[in-house]
Amino acid sequence: MATSDLKPKDPDLYRRIDPATGEYRVIAPGQTFKSVTEKIVRIVLTPDTPLGWFAIFSVAGAVATMLLVAVTWLFLKGTGIWAVTQPVAWGFAIINFVWWIGIGHAGTLISAILLLFKQGWRNSINRFAEAMTIFAVVCAGLFPLIHIGRPWLGYWLLPYPNSMNVWPQFRSPLLWDVFAVSTYATISVVFWYIGMVPDFGTMRDRAQSQIAQYFYGLLSLGWRGSVRHWMRYETASLLLAGLATPLVLSVHTVISFDFAVAILPGWHTTIFPPYFVAGAIYSGFAMVLTLAIPLRKFYHLEGLVTERHIDNMGKVMLATGFIVAYGYGMEVFMAWYSASHWEAFMMWNRMFGPMGWSYGVLVTCNLAIPLTTLWSRKLRTNIAFMFFISIVVNTGMWFERFVIVVTSLYRDFLPSSWGTYRATKWDYAIYVGTLGLFTALFLLFVRFLPMIPMSEIRMMLPGAKITPKAAAKAGD
Amino acid sequence: MSKDRNGQIGGNGMNGSAKTTGAELAEKPSFVSGHDFSRAAGGSNSAGALAPEEKLTALKGHDFSRAANDPKTVGALAPEEKLTALKGHDFSRAANDPKTVGALAPEEKLTALKGHDFSRAANDPKTVGALAPEGRSAPMTLAQVREELKSVKGKRYWRSVDELADTAEFQAAVVKEFPGSAQEWVDPVSRRGFMKLMGASLALAGLAGCTKQPDEPIYPYVKAPEDLILGKPMYFASAHPFVTGAVPLLVKSDQFRPIKVDGNPDHPYNQGSSDPFTQGTLLDLYDPDRSQHVTYRGENREWAEFAQELRAKLVGSKDGTGIYFLTSTITSPTLARQWKAVSAAYPKATLVQYDPAIAGTWAESAPATQYDLSAADVIVSLDADFLSGASYPGFHKLVHDYAARRKSPDTLNRLYAIESTPTTTGLKAEHRLGLRASEVPAFAAELGNALGVASGEAPAYAWTDAQKKFLAGLVKDLKASSGKCVVIPGLYQDPSVAALALAINNALGNVGKTVFAASEPVNPYPAKSQIMDFKALVADLNAGKVDWLVILNANPIYTAPADLEFANAFDKAKIVAHLGSHLDETGQIAHWHIPAAHYLESWSDARAYDGTVSIVQPLIDPLYGGKTAHDVFQMLLNEPGPGAYSSGLSAYDAVRETWKPVIKGDFETGWRKVLHQGWIDGTAFDKTAKSGADTGKLSVQAPAPTSKDSLEIIFRPDPNIYDGRWSNVGWLQELPKPVTNLSWDNAAIVSGATLTKLGLEEDDIIEITVNDRKVNAPVIVAPGHPDNSITVHLGYGREFAGRVGSGAGFNAYLIRTAASPFYATGSIKKLDGKWGTAITKSHYQDQRGKRFGEQGNGNNSLEADEAIGERGIIRYATLDEYKANPDFANEGEGHEKTDRDVTLFPNWPYKDNAWGMSIDMNSCTGCNACIVGCYAENNIAVVGKQQVRIGRNMQWLRIDTYFEGDLSAPRAHFQPMACQHCENAPCEQVCPVGATVHTPEGLNMMAYNRCVGTRYCSNNCPYKVRRFNFLLYSDFETESLKLLRNPDVSVRSRGVMEKCSYCVQRISAAKIEADKENRAIVDGEIQTACQQACPASAITFGNINDKGSKVAKLQADERSYQVLADQNTRPRTKYVAAVLNPNPELEEAPVEHLPAKG
Repeated sequence: MATSDLKPKDPDLYRRIDPATGEYRVIAPGQTFKSVTEKIVRIVLTPDTPLGWFAIFSVAGAVATMLLVAVTWLFLKGTGIWAVTQPVAWGFAIINFVWWIGIGHAGTLISAILLLFKQGWRNSINRFAEAMTIFAVVCAGLFPLIHIGRPWLGYWLLPYPNSMNVWPQFRSPLLWDVFAVSTYATISVVFWYIGMVPDFGTMRDRAQSQIAQYFYGLLSLGWRGSVRHWMRYETASLLLAGLATPLVLSVHTVISFDFAVAILPGWHTTIFPPYFVAGAIYSGFAMVLTLAIPLRKFYHLEGLVTERHIDNMGKVMLATGFIVAYGYGMEVFMAWYSASHWEAFMMWNRMFGPMGWSYGVLVTCNLAIPLTTLWSRKLRTNIAFMFFISIVVNTGMWFERFVIVVTSLYRDFLPSSWGTYRATKWDYAIYVGTLGLFTALFLLFVRFLPMIPMSEIRMMLPGAKITPKAAAKAGD
Repeated sequence: MSKDRNGQIGGNGMNGSAKTTGAELAEKPSFVSGHDFSRAAGGSNSAGALAPEEKLTALKGHDFSRAANDPKTVGALAPEEKLTALKGHDFSRAANDPKTVGALAPEEKLTALKGHDFSRAANDPKTVGALAPEGRSAPMTLAQVREELKSVKGKRYWRSVDELADTAEFQAAVVKEFPGSAQEWVDPVSRRGFMKLMGASLALAGLAGCTKQPDEPIYPYVKAPEDLILGKPMYFASAHPFVTGAVPLLVKSDQFRPIKVDGNPDHPYNQGSSDPFTQGTLLDLYDPDRSQHVTYRGENREWAEFAQELRAKLVGSKDGTGIYFLTSTITSPTLARQWKAVSAAYPKATLVQYDPAIAGTWAESAPATQYDLSAADVIVSLDADFLSGASYPGFHKLVHDYAARRKSPDTLNRLYAIESTPTTTGLKAEHRLGLRASEVPAFAAELGNALGVASGEAPAYAWTDAQKKFLAGLVKDLKASSGKCVVIPGLYQDPSVAALALAINNALGNVGKTVFAASEPVNPYPAKSQIMDFKALVADLNAGKVDWLVILNANPIYTAPADLEFANAFDKAKIVAHLGSHLDETGQIAHWHIPAAHYLESWSDARAYDGTVSIVQPLIDPLYGGKTAHDVFQMLLNEPGPGAYSSGLSAYDAVRETWKPVIKGDFETGWRKVLHQGWIDGTAFDKTAKSGADTGKLSVQAPAPTSKDSLEIIFRPDPNIYDGRWSNVGWLQELPKPVTNLSWDNAAIVSGATLTKLGLEEDDIIEITVNDRKVNAPVIVAPGHPDNSITVHLGYGREFAGRVGSGAGFNAYLIRTAASPFYATGSIKKLDGKWGTAITKSHYQDQRGKRFGEQGNGNNSLEADEAIGERGIIRYATLDEYKANPDFANEGEGHEKTDRDVTLFPNWPYKDNAWGMSIDMNSCTGCNACIVGCYAENNIAVVGKQQVRIGRNMQWLRIDTYFEGDLSAPRAHFQPMACQHCENAPCEQVCPVGATVHTPEGLNMMAYNRCVGTRYCSNNCPYKVRRFNFLLYSDFETESLKLLRNPDVSVRSRGVMEKCSYCVQRISAAKIEADKENRAIVDGEIQTACQQACPASAITFGNINDKGSKVAKLQADERSYQVLADQNTRPRTKYVAAVLNPNPELEEAPVEHLPAKG
């Protein structure tokens, strides 16, 4: 059933549906090169920053400052200000790390994999999704450093030549993390920046103030829009997309090794790599939705980020959600099928032990709510509902990491050492603080950089299309 | 940022200060000769040959602060070096130490003073230049005095501070600077006190005390280096004088600081073992909260002043009327002799002994009954907790003999325990009967009747069927093994129990075989009844008869029975003097307070439980100039005269005098030998004497039990801090108590049924009322506690214990009366709120509603179900099961044995040594001595209650306790758990920086300096034995604790993971010795600290490559198993599965556990 059959009465809605496919249009009708450019450029080059921006930024900045305070206190006192203890020696820091890294994955998937698959609809959301990736990696990258007992020695994890000839221990998954995350961060930043170069050219040309001209001029690397530039640009994009694509799969795979390589029941699982990657994309798309929905409303970008995008992202979430569900199912199945007492006890304890509630939250948020509702196109195109779902999935995915980290650790092999875990105010301060940091960075991004790639949107407009018929006419 | 202090304690900031004094060095080339170098001269030969720079360099490499503090080391240096040494370091300490300063030549002292605020002005050339010559006659400032002193050159030095102080200018300066103390300066006696005060309060070099110490040589025990060799410890025999019998010790001394106490391995009584108390006394020595000054009404005074006053009073009274001494139990024969001399001279002077944990028991008066458990097949404990700690007399020997029989299934003994509060003794017993305390005497009487002891009528009592059955089985077993059994009476029971036990032993023909009556009591001056004496003292106080009350090493304000209202009576004494190690509750309100010397600081003597006399040798000069009871009594005996109050016959002389008649042959040779070996030969009690208790004459009436519904309150000394004397010892406070795993608190311990009946939950606060006296306490459950009964431990709720002990727990003395010191009836009321106890066992223990599957019999806790069930962590069998299937520990599911050869990669070839450990689960009684020993050996930090509450305690070794069976009648399994040193260590593979690695000898090691603290290793450790410094737990600041540390083990800073190292420092030391002698390490040469402390010899360490070694044999034993072997971690520590020896008649249903099925 096509969308047009659902709401044929609404002329406005009808306008936004592509009669050829019956789907929502990727870009609302009536957009021209000029309108797109003006729309996006005005957000950045306007002298009148919306008051709302200041309001949200000040809140986010305050929360980010709290992060600064919390980290300062952490460095002064030690990780003991957190709830980490025996036997739960990893806590919020690792949970948050995995969660943030996971969130980043959607951006890379959208910008790299969907580019290679020529999914044109990605263009509208690609830029800010990638920004999200970078800021998520910033937040994620903070945690491995601050969670160690002696953060000032964190560089010992790097294989740098030193007079004592000491190298890191290459069998440790934590070391693989260092390489995975640093590679990921580098590629993401480069890819993001290269993608912005044509837009920087536009901004430079349209900027009124000298500072802006100078600033964007510097960033645009002398972009003149010549064919040669475009050719190189396209090649670079493709190459970087090719580099970034395996990273979408590898980074979270490596991070899942942090757990899978350990001998702990609940961690020592071969299904972790695919299950982590799917979970990462699941939560990443949820975060893109969490950002996109308020953003298109605030900056009136409904014409560029349409229901089609929301709908498509809902579909991706549905698919990855089911992979995640399969992962959960397999964990339970293997607990029984392996006939291992350790696995069986772990699963029983995870579900019915003193922290069984967290498994309940996980199942509710990751499976029960999204996987039953996202089937419905009506709900998938309901903006408010999708915003709600995005929050639910983000929560659920955070709890997935909580369940993996904490409930595997607090009751492991020796019953004498069983313990519990109760987060402290500093745990919360740092977690919420990274949310603030992320929001603040994102707000700076939407204020100073083109959040939607003008060049790519322009190419999708009808005006950019040379119909084969016309070409035939012209040529033959 | 860089708070990384691991392994870098010494040598800080040396270079800068060395330069500054270099210039001064050139000006004063001849200081070394011609001055009072009395102490320095001894050691200066070798050091003197070095150029100063070299010496400094030599010192630098070492833990320098220590060296600087050590008078001898400093003495060996040339003056400039001393200064440099002092400057860079904890100067205040060194400078305050009269000896260190005394060893300096005057110029040095001055220079030493320069570095401080105090004389900042003097250092400033401008200030000095501005002084007009005529200004000298005007009142000087102290700074000017310093300048004055500094300007004196050549040979015209002031001879002493006193000489200088006679100048009017100086006195004027003092008045100006310290108007409040000006009077003291003029007073010749208290001038020294002033000096000390000044030294302490300004942290400058005290001008005090250049007294030459008397020569009282002590002799090294095993190794006798000619002079101190840095880094090479010396060992001295000493003894820990304890009220239930001294513990003979061998104390490790590093650069003249005692750093580890352990049992004397050659001593016939304890054979090298120790106990938690003894291990804890080391920290007590270095306790920074010890009192440091003689005070009178809060003002600092001198010992001589006190001595003068007390002596004047005593002499004035002619016969000692009005002079009372209140002391803790006298353990020293010399002290008893001294008191007898005082008493002879002043017959009306009164001595009262009072020890709250001993008063009212048979231990205060009765001759010691010795038990020989090595000959006992059946052991019956009548509320005697002889396996859990030194509070039971003869603990070390009893445990040793008990455990020796548990090593092999062929020699198993059988232990029955009848007890009123769950202890490790009861939980180790094959058969345990929990009775309320008041029921025990009646039960003993029933037992006596059944065994034909005419002990009068046993009180009529409605025994339950289970109790009757237990009695019947016990009687039958005892009769069958007469002459080979033993009945041991509890200490905290009605006297009838001890009498009955002796009668029963007599009736069974045990006396002379397993039971011996010693000729004398352990304590040399036994009181008939400490409580009666104490009551008489209170009466005399109230009657106003007491002019002087001298309290020696006791804290009656805190420990006195509540019904005697001692605090009120206390105020009626005209003058109270208190000799105590701390300014405790009594010290706070006494007129005089004299700091007491620790036993490691003073000469004394004491008897072990078997009667052997040990000399208490000091290992260090008193840190704070403490005095002992010997000094007090000796001072009263000395003839008055110059210096009589402070010198005269010292404790050293007194002790020698006591034993002169006993030591045979040439006294000096004999004395030297005694000090060397630690005891006097031939002083053990005569055990041939027949028992005094004749069955026929015995007429003991056991008291009738209280009503079954009444609520009984049982008072027991704390298993960790005893009667409160070790409140301020962090190691003991943090130590999880046996059975309850409670740390940092005491609690009202009840049974699960009583908890339900009273409508309480664990950690609730209740108000306990006994005879209208109330106290608030938290409630916790102990498995196996009798119903309608509450156990409270004494020793907590201290107000003035110090920074560690003050405020922990509640004061059970407040409801303890003289009439019923060990159990009373009372009532409780629930109050609002939770207490917040810190319990180190898992948080959800005993939540029986949530069991996994349906395994076990449904009574176990989830933890025990798991540990004893499929996880196979605890494996044991009964003797019958063992005989049927000797390989029970390694058969069946969950009991996998790993094969070292099943591996993809070739195994590491161990050529020489492969270290391993074996722990005998059958012997371990869970007494905790190993844990405290580990604290001392490995510089383990104390983290405090709040950190323990959230699971961050740092003990490298813990004793996992699993309870099996019904909550009301459990069996417990104690499993000491430390790093297992896995061959396939999961921790090593995951460390990103390689901070934890395998050595070629199989140890799993931590490189603290390399650790960045990812804690991944801890997560991946299946045994959860790694401990992380989440915060800065180690104390790097407190001066006295610096002396405590073992210099061979680094002190870990925050953010670093740590764990058991199999005492690698001891391994290395032994390897160096062996290398020097070009030989292999002998089996048994290396003992880990836990092994050394263990009174049950449950821990064996050695080279498993050497097939003849003890540990290799134990590991090859069929009962040996590895915990979590199915994880293929291949641990190097193996456990020997327990074999129990239950009485078939009393065994209800066969205990269901997997090995039996296999």
